Parts: sequence; structure tokens; C-alpha cells
Amino acid sequence: MRKKQTRKSRKTEVRIPFPMVLANILVFVAVFGLSYVWLCARSEMLGREIKRLETVQRDTRRRLISEQDRWANLLAPANFDRALKRYHLAMTLPDEHRIVRVRRRGDDTSAVALAAANRLHRTMNEL
Amino acid sequence: MNYKGRTVFTATAIAAVFAGLGIRLAFLHLQPSSDTLARIHSGRRLEQETRGSRGRILDREGQILALDIDAKHICADPKFILEHGDIQAVCEALSQHLTLDRDKIWKLLDHPDRQYVRIQKFAREQTVAPLRDLHLKGLIFEDASIREYPKGVLGAHVIGFVNYEGVGSAGIEQRMNSYLQGSAGLRISQKDGLRREIYSRRTVDIEPQAGADVHLTIDQQIQHFAEKALDDLSAKYHPQGAWAIVQNVRTGEILAMASLPTFNLNSFGSAPAEWMRNRAINYTYEPGSTMKAMIIASALDSGVVRSTDVFDCENGVWYYGGKALHDAHGEGRLSVADILKKSSNIGAAKIALRMGDEKVYQSLRNFGFGEQTGIELPGEDAGIVWPPDRWSKISITRLAMGHEVLVTSMQILSAISAIANDGIRMRPLIIHKVVDAKGDIILEPRPEELGRPIRPETAKLMRRLLARVTQPGGTGTKAALRGYLVAGKTGTAQKANLDEGGYYNHKYIASFIGFLPVENPVISIIVVADDPQGSHYGGTVCAPYFHDIADQTVRYLRIPPEGFPTEYISRLEQPPPGEEDIPE
Repeated sequence: MRKKQTRKSRKTEVRIPFPMVLANILVFVAVFGLSYVWLCARSEMLGREIKRLETVQRDTRRRLISEQDRWANLLAPANFDRALKRYHLAMTLPDEHRIVRVRRRGDDTSAVALAAANRLHRTMNEL
Repeated sequence: MNYKGRTVFTATAIAAVFAGLGIRLAFLHLQPSSDTLARIHSGRRLEQETRGSRGRILDREGQILALDIDAKHICADPKFILEHGDIQAVCEALSQHLTLDRDKIWKLLDHPDRQYVRIQKFAREQTVAPLRDLHLKGLIFEDASIREYPKGVLGAHVIGFVNYEGVGSAGIEQRMNSYLQGSAGLRISQKDGLRREIYSRRTVDIEPQAGADVHLTIDQQIQHFAEKALDDLSAKYHPQGAWAIVQNVRTGEILAMASLPTFNLNSFGSAPAEWMRNRAINYTYEPGSTMKAMIIASALDSGVVRSTDVFDCENGVWYYGGKALHDAHGEGRLSVADILKKSSNIGAAKIALRMGDEKVYQSLRNFGFGEQTGIELPGEDAGIVWPPDRWSKISITRLAMGHEVLVTSMQILSAISAIANDGIRMRPLIIHKVVDAKGDIILEPRPEELGRPIRPETAKLMRRLLARVTQPGGTGTKAALRGYLVAGKTGTAQKANLDEGGYYNHKYIASFIGFLPVENPVISIIVVADDPQGSHYGGTVCAPYFHDIADQTVRYLRIPPEGFPTEYISRLEQPPPGEEDIPE
């Protein structure tokens, strides 16, 4: 029984001609090679791009810090004073008679009294 | 040799050369020796250590007080310049842009045997950029970073500085160094023939970690108010030193801490060491009359006296223990409230005697004298409070008027803030929060109670008693602020002579300490002047500048005025009509 089956399968076996196999192998190798080369080139390109972006990031960071430094310097109170002096701007606190004082009373629920109370509360919280 | 023979010979020679090269190549690629391999690897190896930038220091509003900025070390390759470059042009450019002496640069570069000299360290980008644009051969720009303090002198003693190795050496820079310093990164890779990194050969890439940002409780505006007031004080009274602190009485946060003489943080190397001293926390002195506030508060709290109790102030001279004790102005009988208002030494001494040694000592300790406040700044002094077994007979009378005890301004401000804060003494805070590079808060100190030296009722009474000091007839009228009721206490103490013992005859420490608004205190302020010229009274020298700082700060913080002085005066007692302001 086994011998019969073996004989049958030998008869039905399809033989692929050698040149075709070789061609397939060559195509596979070529595709593999080309893929490798393409991947190499691609990774090389990505590497260059990463390097470029790293440089851009570094430069941007440098510029950011430089601007932060300049901005912090501009906002220094002493610089404000100098600028006011340079442009002859005298900023004085208002005279007493020009100040409206809102006095808080325990039973006063008027809008202004509440606003004053809120402001006090806010100040305390901020501190 | 005929033509064919020559051809064969040449071909053989060429073939032999190529064969040799091929064999060498095969050896190199297939079985290289370990030495060769090591040489190749070391030649190709690229190892870069990148330093993480140091964290920033910011004020409570996020204003930058310190940050790292990129800089360059300007270097040169003399050998290359002499062989391929133009030494004349290099010298001209460097002397012009770096404002260096041309001959000095020439001497540095005139060394054909050297390949590296450093022309200038830590040059800023704006200096380097024009030089780089000249594309001079042989110049090298090495990466570096410098610590920049954009506000210059503002908060110099608090912020501190880093040394040339990048390690914090004073102030917050020193105390918070472990948070501020970043961790270094490492990149191991290979380089090509042009010394460029071959990205695909990168094997190790550890990013540098930037240090954490430290946010302070300091507010740059209030700091400026304090520093400006000290400048004005200094210009008028020429003291050896002057300092001021502004504190939030509820939380203990320091809003400003200024000290004169000061220095520019960007050129700290040229400042004398004495200028770098933060006198607010490490200068100990006998506080004088400001101490009476704490002694009387304790006496009231323990029930030894009441505010209406009357003491005989002996018309200004009183002998105790064989020694005379004087008042600046002779007073007869004064209530406890008036002893504080008129700052009577004799009255305070008698109150202390009624308390007894142990209670006086304990009250001083309860207010935190003789120990560090625990503020997050390096170099804080603890001061000195001797225990009663080391006191002489008259010590208790001198302690009551702020002698025979050494305190720092931070301690005494902390004590007065306790009175303002319903008797709760808070730890002074200077660190608001620490935020790491990812934006996570890694440290956020919370307000911490250190003790309760007096009860809330006593604190309330003391606030009102201290408010009378700035009212007509008190010693601190120049600290009064229109629209606000200010509580305060003047202090004038002879300066101790540490070299010869005893006291200087004409050297004083003048101070004013106070808080406002009285009914609902928000801020406390201390102003101290060391050896002022022209006047030496705390009420004359320091109170006006307390006023200046307070006036601007209450407006800046939008602290609304509350109540009117007459309400408080009427509750205690009206001042005698026509009573003039008197110096201490």
C-alpha cells in the first residue's frame, strides 16, 4: 500500500526548472539587497535629519534662553526706574484727597463693601 | 629585456602590489590584530559628555532671577594660524571685539609649537557672533555656559552665586545646589573622516537632565522697595551696613530680604567678602528696645502685669544692683502701655524683675531667641541667650531693654510676626516651590508652626499697644502710614565692642520693627542700620524707611486700609492734647 502511494506521488511531482529557481533566488537577493540599501539610505537620511533637528533645537533653546535673559533684564525694577528717569516720567502715588476709601463694616453688604472684602480675602490668599 | 618581458614584469609588479594590498585588506577585515582593532576603534570613537543646564531661580511671580546662558571659550590654534592663517587679521579682530591688548594676543599666538591656547573664557554670544562671522582660520569656539543674573544686584544676598566650577557657593544657589544642578548626559558614537558623528553608529545616548527651577517667596518688586529704601537710608546716614526684611506674618514667607553693602551677582568676584555677608540672618547684635515688645508680651501673657498697671519710672535714673539705669527722657509714673509707647528702660526692667529670671529666660526662648529660625539660607546665626545661672544680678534688667542678648534680625522679625499672627510663631520660608524639568513640583514647603509664645488674646492686646508707638507721643511716629494703623517698636542699642569689651560710646545699632494693618496684619517689616551717622535713634533713622517700604508694599499687594487710628486710641486712652512726637 505504501509502495503504491510513493510511486503515485513520484509521478505527480512537478519539477521547477533550475534557471527559474536561480532567477527567483537572484530576484530575492536583489530585492533584499535593494531593500537593505534603501533602508540604509533611509536611516542615513533620518539620522541626518535628526542631527539637523538636534542642532535646530539647540539653537532654538539658546535663543529662548537669550530672550528670557533679556526679558528678565528689561523687567528688572531698577531698569523701570531708569527708563522713567530717562523719559522724565514722574510716577507718584495719588494724594490722599484723591483716594476713595471703602470701609468695611460687619453688617454692610453693599456691593462696594463686598468688593473690598473680596479683595482683602484675595490678597491674603495670594500671600 | 624585450617589450614583452617589460610588459610582463610591469603587469606582475602591479599585480603584486594589488595582491599585497588585497592581502592586507583581507587581514584587516578578516582577522585584524587586537592592536589594530583598538587603534581603529579609538580613532573612530566619539564620546561626548553634555552638561545638564542648571535650574533657574525665580521670584514668587515667576520673574527670572538667575539662569544659565550659553557662552563660548574663545580659543586658537597658533600652529595652524601661523602656517595657514593670517595672524595679523586674527590679532586685529580679537583685540577689537574682545577689547584685549593686541600685543598680548600676538604673544599668545606666536607659538608655532602649540596647537591650543585659550584667549578668553566665558565669552557671551553677542561677543562671539561677530567674530564667528569673520570666518578666521584657526579660531576655535568651545561650548560653555555661564550663570547669568539678569537683575544684577537685586536680591544678591538671597540668591547667592555659583563658583567657576558651577557649584553654588552662597545663598539659595548654595542651599539648593542639589536641586538646581542638572545631571550630565553621555553620547557614545563613531565619527567619520571629517570628525562628524555617524548617527547610525550611536550606541549610547543619555540625555542630560536640566536642574529643577527654584521659586522663591521673594517678590522682586517688594525686594526693590526694600533695597531702594536702604539706598536712601545709606545716602542720608552713611551707616556701616543696613538691612531690611519683609515677611508675611500668616505664613512666615519672606517677601524681601535686602542688605547693604551689596554687590552685583554678575561680577561677584570683584566684591569684597564683607559685602557678600547677608546681615539679615548672620549679623548678631543687641537689639535694644525692640526686645521690650517680647518681654512685655510675655509679662502680659503670664498675668504678671496688666496693661493698665503703673510703674514708677524714677524720672529717668534708677539704681539697681549698684548700677544706674537711664531713660532717654525722664518719666514719672507710666502704665505698662505707656512704658512700651515711650520705650522706658526703667519701666521694662521693673516688669522683667516682676517676672523673675526663669520666666524672662523662658519667654525669650519661646520667642525663638538663641536658636536658628530654620530659614533655607546658609550661614544663619543662632544668636546667644545665656541661661539664668550665668546672669549677674542686673542681667534681667538689661535683658528687658535688649542688652546681654544677641539676636539676628530674622529672629526678632519672626518674634514680632508671632505677635501679629495671634501668638503663633511661623518658620520663615524663602522657598516657594521647586519644579523639575518636566514641570512636576518636587518640593513645596508648607507654612510650619514653630510655637505659640503667647495666647491670641495677649497678641491682640499687644497689637494695639504696639500701634500706639507710631501714634503721636510714641517713639515711632515716622513709621505711621496714612490710612493704615501701624504697630511697631523702635530700637536703639549701643554697639558692643568685641575687641576690647564693653560698648562703643558713639556707635549704635538703630532699628525699627513693625507690622500692619494692626487689626488684620498681613506684613511685618524690620529695618536696621549699623552705626548710622548724624542720628542714631531707631525712630529717626529707620522708621521713615520702614514707612517707605510699607507704603509701597501695601499698595503693591493691594492691602486695603482698614479702620481708623482713632478707634484704637479711644479704646486705650487718648494721647494728651498737644503732645509732641518725641525721639526715643
